[in-house]
Amino acid sequence: MADIRLENISKRFNNDIALNDVNIEVKDKEFFIIFGPAGAGKTTLLNVIAGIHMPNHGAVYLQDQYINHVEPEDRNIAMVFEDYALYPHLSVFDNIASPLRSPRYKKPEPEIKKEVERVAEILNIEWLLERSPDQLSNGQRQRVGLGRALVREPNVYLMDEPITHLDAKLRHQMRAELKEMQKSLDTTTIYVTHDYLEALSLGDRIAVINEGQIMQVGTPEEVYFFPENEFVAGSFGEPEINIFEGDIMTSEQVDFSPFFGQSAFGFLPKEKQQVLGNKGLQTIRIGLRPKDIHFQFEPVNSKEYIKGKVFSFEPLGAKAVLTVEINGKYIRITMKYNEDISINQDVYIKIDLNTAIYFDELGNNLLSQFSAKRRGMAWQN
Amino acid sequence: MKRNKIIEFFKDLALFLYALFALFPLVWLVIISFKHDRDMFTTTFIFNPTLENYKIIFSDGSFIGYFIDNLIVSSGAIALSVIVGVPAAYALARFNFKGRETIAFTFLSFRFAPEIFVVLPIFLIYQQIGLYDTYFGLIWVFQVLSLPLMIWILRGYFEDISVEMEHAARMDGYTWWQVFLKMIMPLIKPGLVASALLSLIFVWNNFTFSLLLAGQDVMTTTVAMVGYLSSDTVHYGQMAAAVLISALPIIILALAIQKHLVRGLSMGAVKG
Repeated sequence: MADIRLENISKRFNNDIALNDVNIEVKDKEFFIIFGPAGAGKTTLLNVIAGIHMPNHGAVYLQDQYINHVEPEDRNIAMVFEDYALYPHLSVFDNIASPLRSPRYKKPEPEIKKEVERVAEILNIEWLLERSPDQLSNGQRQRVGLGRALVREPNVYLMDEPITHLDAKLRHQMRAELKEMQKSLDTTTIYVTHDYLEALSLGDRIAVINEGQIMQVGTPEEVYFFPENEFVAGSFGEPEINIFEGDIMTSEQVDFSPFFGQSAFGFLPKEKQQVLGNKGLQTIRIGLRPKDIHFQFEPVNSKEYIKGKVFSFEPLGAKAVLTVEINGKYIRITMKYNEDISINQDVYIKIDLNTAIYFDELGNNLLSQFSAKRRGMAWQN
Repeated sequence: MKRNKIIEFFKDLALFLYALFALFPLVWLVIISFKHDRDMFTTTFIFNPTLENYKIIFSDGSFIGYFIDNLIVSSGAIALSVIVGVPAAYALARFNFKGRETIAFTFLSFRFAPEIFVVLPIFLIYQQIGLYDTYFGLIWVFQVLSLPLMIWILRGYFEDISVEMEHAARMDGYTWWQVFLKMIMPLIKPGLVASALLSLIFVWNNFTFSLLLAGQDVMTTTVAMVGYLSSDTVHYGQMAAAVLISALPIIILALAIQKHLVRGLSMGAVKG
């Protein structure tokens, strides 16, 4: 039951910048995801909130109270660690009971027993309570780590990739359970992950972080459909979004010829023409999700279609990923499974700008509110 | 199958022969400690056992004094090493500061110099500052033997404990000191016991420092043993009895915590 606010947080380790001017506001009872690639600073950010690392610059607020100097044990924050961080000399029961036995959050022993058993049942590890951590599999250890956090009633749960080490089936199941659990616990949760599916399915809001900087904060819909920049667009979705570069010829026509090495044109939808026209750009970068690319194998006589060759074809059950090579560029397309596809076969693709995301040369989304706002601020300066 | 049995037999035989070889000095020591001086060179295994040697040792009470001196000096040195060595090892394992490896190596290098090589300057310094022939003087110099061992063994143990585990304990509501005592100490215990015992053996058996930096007010058993070499004769029987008694605490300790000793020196704390 708490909201958290980070203001201008920067953190350096020697000369490496781990976090660079991070501003985040996590609302009360929110399931907040911190998403980013390895080494982006996700765990450091979590450690700053936990009080394990002191930021070099900036302020951490918990329920509007400045807590930079509050020790981790006094913040009443529970954390699940990526590498479990179990106590190897204690049994599973004692591991889970440890926060309830600590001087800070002490509870009577019968109550501890009840609580530990309740949590163990939720996590399906009640038959492991007598074991020691080195007799557990990684998935079981991760659940013990979760259990140690769940026995408490903290202000905030911090979870650092809590289900990455589980096998696929269990991960899926735990994902659903975590969402359910968070609803019933009704407690603010900050969850770190590098798995975009976890981020999209669990989060109320997602903060995308890269190289210590926040790229975008938004709901799953916002980050998926309205990414602020190419990095965010590329992070969500598998296979990755395709990016094409083209020159704006007229208010409606975009010329992709230099990019594809052959005559290729796209047509801007009416409602976008004016907005983009006002920006006075010469080149534009187009993001198209693999499922949004039109393609066909029969030759067509249209200047919208671009000829390429099948580079690879990966069947994934009912779905398949088709990679098309044009002028040394690889374009990824998702399609229904089709067994008649052979390598190096001709294929014709069409750039349909109706479903596209538009980026400027620096990779920032031209139509997003965020960049519009920032542009406005820059203009005011 | 039969081949295996033969190999097993030879293995056992080899072990038996080695045990005989290793234990013989001890057995011989026990035997001569029960002999009269006159039987010393005339008999080997068959003689009239006597407690005479032990009676002589304990009759004037001075041997007990040497024994206690040795006990004070050794346990003092180990206690000081634990108090200094545990935090030092923790710092060397956990904190990344300038010159960390240099400091760690400096500790280790204390053990490189032969004792006889450093004892003269120490002797002169001790004479000047009044530490010569005092308990504290010996305790202090025995640090040189026990501290490096302690630091290097414990450093490995601390490095094996994940930092995240400490953080987890902090989040669970323990202060740093409680984390250290409740979570970290149990994990380094095997290493602590093993290194303390091993240094105790080194310190207990030390002769050079005890001989040259003390000898009147403070005298350890190793030095006292020399007293049985008089100018005209050597009292082998009394010497053997004295050696046996002064070796006894170490033998008992080593046997009692043999398991910890092997495990503690050969294994890290947290595996898997």
